[in-house]
Amino acid sequence: MAYKRQFYPGESQVAKNRRRYMDPSEKLKKLRDVAMDDVIRILGHRAPGEDYKSIHPPLAEGSEPEDLIRQLVTPIEGAKAGDRIRYVQFTDSVYFAPMVPYLRAWMYMTRIRGFDTGTLSGRQIIEMRERDLEKVSKELIDNETFDPAKTGIRGATVHGHACRLDENGLMFDAWQRYRWNAKTGEVEYVKDQVALPLDKPISVGKPLPEADLKNMTTIFRADGVDMRDDPEVMAINLRIHRLRTLCGYQAYALKGE
Amino acid sequence: MAKSKEKLFIEAMKKKFEEDPTEVNTHYYTFGGWKQSKRKREWVEQANQIAKKRGIPMMNQDIGVPLGQRVLMPYRLSHTDIYAEADDLHFMNNAAMQQAWDDIRRTVIVGLDTAHSVIEKRLGKEVTPETINLYLETVNHAMPGGAVVQEHMAEVSPALAEDCYVKVFSGDDELISQIDKCFVIDINKEFPKDQAKQLKDAIGKSVYQVVRAPTLVGRVCDGGTISRWSAMQISMSFISAYRLAAGEAAIADFAYAAKHASVVNMGTMMPARRARGPNEPGGIPFGFLADMVQSTRVYPDDPARAALETVALGAVIYDQIYLGSYMSGGVGFTQYATAAYTDDILEDYVYWALDLIKTKYGGLCNSKPSMDLMEKLGTEVNSYALEMYERYPAAMEAHFGGSQRATVAAAATGIACAMATGNADFGVNGWYLSMLQHKERHGRLGFYGYDLQDQCGSANSFSYRSDEGLAFEMRGPNYPNYAMNVGHMSGYAGIAMAPHAARGDAFACNPLIKVAFADKSLPFDFANITKEFGRGALREFMPAGERTIIIPAK
Repeated sequence: MAYKRQFYPGESQVAKNRRRYMDPSEKLKKLRDVAMDDVIRILGHRAPGEDYKSIHPPLAEGSEPEDLIRQLVTPIEGAKAGDRIRYVQFTDSVYFAPMVPYLRAWMYMTRIRGFDTGTLSGRQIIEMRERDLEKVSKELIDNETFDPAKTGIRGATVHGHACRLDENGLMFDAWQRYRWNAKTGEVEYVKDQVALPLDKPISVGKPLPEADLKNMTTIFRADGVDMRDDPEVMAINLRIHRLRTLCGYQAYALKGE
Repeated sequence: MAKSKEKLFIEAMKKKFEEDPTEVNTHYYTFGGWKQSKRKREWVEQANQIAKKRGIPMMNQDIGVPLGQRVLMPYRLSHTDIYAEADDLHFMNNAAMQQAWDDIRRTVIVGLDTAHSVIEKRLGKEVTPETINLYLETVNHAMPGGAVVQEHMAEVSPALAEDCYVKVFSGDDELISQIDKCFVIDINKEFPKDQAKQLKDAIGKSVYQVVRAPTLVGRVCDGGTISRWSAMQISMSFISAYRLAAGEAAIADFAYAAKHASVVNMGTMMPARRARGPNEPGGIPFGFLADMVQSTRVYPDDPARAALETVALGAVIYDQIYLGSYMSGGVGFTQYATAAYTDDILEDYVYWALDLIKTKYGGLCNSKPSMDLMEKLGTEVNSYALEMYERYPAAMEAHFGGSQRATVAAAATGIACAMATGNADFGVNGWYLSMLQHKERHGRLGFYGYDLQDQCGSANSFSYRSDEGLAFEMRGPNYPNYAMNVGHMSGYAGIAMAPHAARGDAFACNPLIKVAFADKSLPFDFANITKEFGRGALREFMPAGERTIIIPAK
């Protein structure tokens, strides 16, 4: 029987959410439509309309040596063109942001090609050829993995994921790259990823209601879904620890487990 | 939710933040930036004066990230009433932290048995309590920089070396009773009776001298210098005290014993690629550091305190000084490492775990290590720790870096597992259980080291094969899986101490080191570590090694 990917164990809402985000056959909901030029402005790597800077000639020019890997792997568009590798980095609040850093990595692995990613407690970076990065960034800002109040787009000085929320429910950002617009009820970016001022504010929409976030979130918390209340997630995690403890990385050598 | 008696960290949280510790919302960007900090205001003034005087710009708080967009919160030194600004917990700004490291680095222990054997068996001279007293008087002249053999010598100002001396100890009560008290670390007086017995049984009739080289020597040279400084002065003192020929072949035995055969360095030698000598922090095994801590001696009925004090010393020596500066550089490690010994957060988790072990797991050291116990106890303690961050947003914000929370939750879990079983290896396995659960629960952990070493550490918790493992007390910052484990070292050190404190052991790893630091003459009090760091932060701590005597008066 062919192996069927299971993505994630558990029957709790958090487990189901994790599984759904990771399963590439599940289409993620688009909640907003931030203009591509505005995404480019927030990223801050180039001005809208500006040519992509390149770091090598287009692959079509054939200057690359013969190589088996080159035959096996179809290059993404930016690689074909010779684009620079640039980044987008997200910070996810512990207060029920849709995403948690590890899930970003796992989700990217199942849904995106041609990137490098790094995960820390307070930020999660994607590095990618520039034109491909812009498309991915727009998707990740437009879809349900992003909440204007609980998700931040930050290149540096990223901390804030564990800070309390401000009076408008926004995650702390020492650079105040975004602000609450009381008139529109929306969050707008006034600085790019590395806190350089934008020419005009860019709205990323209204924050999601807390009830919705608690339903969509991927963090286990005692005041939401406690991980201990999902027996399968607990069991799998304990099994990993048990197997590593008893037999290192030779899990197959352990009898009776 | 876990039982809801008053949490130990609440008082500190209330001091740090104006809102109730359970409140999720606050306000930001309104505190006046760096100007809210007395210390930073003071520094701006200093920097402006320095820049004006030297004509080169200096520290300018308006460069870079706007500091102080949140409240620049004070930090309570755990199990004390002392609050300090974060800046004052950087080792550069804290004389007590510097002295803690100075006092470790400038210490070597040198056995006297080999030298006495050479004197008696090879040279046919007698060693008696009287000759030992004469030797000690001589070596206490020579060690600070006094000459004893050649008549035309440059010596060292005693005012620069007032912290330098040599003391002895032994398990031989009869011999010790005949040595001048000023030269003795008296095990019977310094330790509770049962601990004194354990130590004397372990040490036996052997006699050891504890050498404290001048603080300045360690600072100007390095840890590797200390055994050399000590060995030369010891050899010269034997020549003088026992009227030996300076060039005779037997003298080499004194030097060999003092430099190699009979010396115990506080830090072991590291591989050449680390480019450090012995007696440097990367070579201090966790068990040695645990033995430097004197909490079990002074507060024998409070094993949790002993583990927590070891955590505090480990945070400063291993994380702030060694990994933070020796290996990495920069100023970021202070903010990171202080989480383990401030605000009584780890205190709360550890004392809660202690209650749990007593009420539900048969008491301290009464359980045998098993995977079932690990899964039950480890899960319970770790879940409590993580739940506290979730229930108390103030605690979450106090430890606003994921690495801080990862270390603190894992330290609590590891200490609990170690105390329940009296086994440090079981403790460190609990650490790794915590790491796996934490990552799964919050979907985040710490910096990359937490995602690498902490994901595979379960596999080496019980490994003893060479190059793969060691008894946990003998592992240290240079153990392969730990060498780049920034922020972990404090917890690891606490786990090495925990089972021994719980068992009522007099020492964790090395009885000689335990006795050597039971020494009232040390400037830094190793029985009250967080208090000393706090006094350093308040600028109430008087260090050694000052150069006032040889520089112009201001």
